[in-house]
Amino acid sequence: MTRKVMRLAVCAAFLATSMATLAQHDPHATDAAQQSHTADAGAGSAHGSQPNIFAGDLGNVIWTTVTFALVVIILGRFAWPALVSGLAQRERTIRESLEHARVERQKAEALLRDYTAKIERARVEATAIVDEGKRDAEAVRRRIQEETRKEADETIARAKREIQLAKDSAVKDLYDQTAELAVRVAGGIIRKELRADDHRGLVAESLQRISSSRN
Amino acid sequence: MLSVLLGEHSPLEHVVQHTAPEWVMKIGQTSITLMSNHIFMQIVSALLIVLIVPWALRRRHDGDETSRLVPRGLGNAIEAVCEFLRKNIFEPNLGKYTPIFAPYLWSLFFFILVQNALGMIPLSEWFKAAPNHVVGGTATGNVFVTATLAVLTLILMVGSGLRYHGMAYVQHFFMGPPYIAWFIAILEVAGLIFKTLALCVRLFANMLAGHIIIAVLMSFIPAVAATMPMWGVAGITAAVVIGAVAFNLLEIIIVVPLHAFIFTTLTAVFIGLAVNIHHDDEHEEHEHAPAHAGGHH
Repeated sequence: MTRKVMRLAVCAAFLATSMATLAQHDPHATDAAQQSHTADAGAGSAHGSQPNIFAGDLGNVIWTTVTFALVVIILGRFAWPALVSGLAQRERTIRESLEHARVERQKAEALLRDYTAKIERARVEATAIVDEGKRDAEAVRRRIQEETRKEADETIARAKREIQLAKDSAVKDLYDQTAELAVRVAGGIIRKELRADDHRGLVAESLQRISSSRN
Repeated sequence: MLSVLLGEHSPLEHVVQHTAPEWVMKIGQTSITLMSNHIFMQIVSALLIVLIVPWALRRRHDGDETSRLVPRGLGNAIEAVCEFLRKNIFEPNLGKYTPIFAPYLWSLFFFILVQNALGMIPLSEWFKAAPNHVVGGTATGNVFVTATLAVLTLILMVGSGLRYHGMAYVQHFFMGPPYIAWFIAILEVAGLIFKTLALCVRLFANMLAGHIIIAVLMSFIPAVAATMPMWGVAGITAAVVIGAVAFNLLEIIIVVPLHAFIFTTLTAVFIGLAVNIHHDDEHEEHEHAPAHAGGHH
């Protein structure tokens, strides 16, 4: 590329040189150049001469070609490749970053789907566990209730039995005391002291009567 | 400018090329100026460009790998300008030839831009005390400078057309029915010359005119000083200073970069016309395909 530009610059120099030479042979251009050449050094033309806006000659052409060619060559070697490669590298980095982001996004979406499915499964499992727990709790509750009721029934039955025994014992004591009381009363009435065997005989007889009368 | 203000010189004085007789070499009837203020400013511009642009483009942000991809400061601005030119001007006009011509066009842009910008600095006033100095002036206000750059564009146009299309480039001048083909070919060749001339004159005339206007504005002050009372001179001076500052701002902000941009853009367009001569045929073949390079043809 640089070589091509150099070739073109050389061609331009030749062409421009020719043009400038032709221009200098033109009487007006010669005047202009002369005016420029006779100008004061430094800051302006000589007093009394009109400044020529078209002042210039082959020297300007050559210097322009040389300086511009140097600018093109040096920048073409030391500036623009860095610029182009920097832009290309940045473009590549941005493209890779976008591609990386796209892949990461796809991965993240896949992970999200996976986690969503897992969460859904966990929710279903949790519901099932809760339901099972409820069922187990209900069963335990029923079992405890049943056992409690059974225990209560047994307690009641046992209490009834004890009550019955106590009642029988009380009734027996009552019979005994009643018989003794009756004997005392009867002894007092008949003023006669009966012997113990008599008493027992009377009591047995009375009990016999009472039992028979209850039946 | 100060000399104009003091009424010493013509308003044209500060815009034309200045040299000294000892800096002019004669070869037969041909004169070659070895050094002048325009040549000196051109060399300074070239030096500034070749020193600053590569340095600026290599400065990168510190930090992680991504930050180091981004230039900083002036390099960032240069890169933004280059990228803008490439995406918006070069690629639409040059198409697949963009990587080939972009370095030349970027160099052209900065070469003109820096010369235009240096012309806005009143260096000749600063070095006025130095004898025989050649500092100051706008090199692009010299018609030989702009003509050389325009001729380079012409050579690139024709050279690239011939390089990439051979005789097809010559044949594409002969358009239309046979009886008018030669006439059109002459017009096309004349068009090439006129394009070159337009490039040359546009840059030269604009840079010259801007400076002349400011000088003319300043020359009003000494012109009225001798004939008007003090308050009148003060009024004219205030108006002239405000106008000159405003026009200077216009030159610095708009004109200086704009004409570098225009010259570069037109060069890209003209080269694009030369290297994309088959665009119309391709367009007809791919009628529904999106248009690409050479859209101006």
